[in-house]
Amino acid sequence: MATTTATITIASTDLLSDELALTSSATLTTAGTATGVTQASGLSRKTTSAASAAVIQANVLYRAGDYTAEKANKVYIKNTSTTAAEFYTVTIDQEPIGRLYAGDWMFMPWIATSGTKETFVVSATGTVAAGDSWDFDGVTTVSADATLNNFAAAVNAKTYPNWTTAVSSAAVTFTARYAGAAGVVTGTTAITGDTVTDLADSNFTMPITSGAAGTRSESDITIRPSVHTDMTYECMLIHE
Amino acid sequence: MATTTAAITLTSDLLSDALSVSTTTTCMKAGTIADGLTQMDTGYIEIATGDVYDILDATALNLDKANKVYICNESTDETYFVEVTVKAEVIGSLYAGDWMFIPWGAESATSDIGLEAKTGTNKITYTLFHEGRTLTAS
Repeated sequence: MATTTATITIASTDLLSDELALTSSATLTTAGTATGVTQASGLSRKTTSAASAAVIQANVLYRAGDYTAEKANKVYIKNTSTTAAEFYTVTIDQEPIGRLYAGDWMFMPWIATSGTKETFVVSATGTVAAGDSWDFDGVTTVSADATLNNFAAAVNAKTYPNWTTAVSSAAVTFTARYAGAAGVVTGTTAITGDTVTDLADSNFTMPITSGAAGTRSESDITIRPSVHTDMTYECMLIHE
Repeated sequence: MATTTAAITLTSDLLSDALSVSTTTTCMKAGTIADGLTQMDTGYIEIATGDVYDILDATALNLDKANKVYICNESTDETYFVEVTVKAEVIGSLYAGDWMFIPWGAESATSDIGLEAKTGTNKITYTLFHEGRTLTAS
């Protein structure tokens, strides 16, 4: 079993009339057990910048959908800036937690409550011919023959930047990689952004046979720099 | 100026090589490098299962400052834990023995820090280092 230990020491000789010396050490375990956590997204470092103050964007540190919710996850973030006025505003969901000023660090538990992912099923229908195609998410699949199931398998074999897939006969199920109300699935049988090319005019279609819109994640961790010039942060997630 | 330092050391053998992260910050007032935080509040409470409390009230704090909050669940039963909230938003679960140290901007008067005990009677210590508050006349 891995042993991960987090120790904090808070000290001051002049804040109070007597010395302040607080030390606490926690062995990081999985939720409700004495078993040590076994996974980490290693210590990373990133410099943020923008063209101007008007276009500063928040950076997503961790997406809740990538991790199991309601576990004993821990997040470490540090602002490595040495300019006193520079800070990162740390936010979970839409709620600002606080400002990490130059040199400040934080260590906190993380609930990782995700939303739901958009999903839909598309089925190869009609008579497909070699050269017919279907385009979605910037990825085009061209049929190699006149077999619907083969075309569905080809659609499934592609790698989509924003979706994962699974295939069953002529039906391909698409699931968004991240939770959110992205607006691609607009109804139980409607999506936006796909294009069918039916070269042989043989009534080849790719109808959406079912679908469900998603909901936004409720605890993605984001940080927003206070200035558009270079600022650097470090972070690490220890999780289950 | 008071000088208060907060240091963290993270060590682990969960990777193929040893993990060791250490850093120290001196708790300063917002945007300064020579003016340390000079005030603190501290407390100890016991929270039973199902109880929900705001342990730190944002109402009187000055907004958008460099406040720091330390919370530790001193319970020893590993199944005991509390959920920590900021403005009623659950940020995470603090299990027995766990601690947290975060900046707290007190972005609005309702950005209180709260706890909800999910299992057991949890023993919680907390400390707020801050830049001052608006005191209410008696």
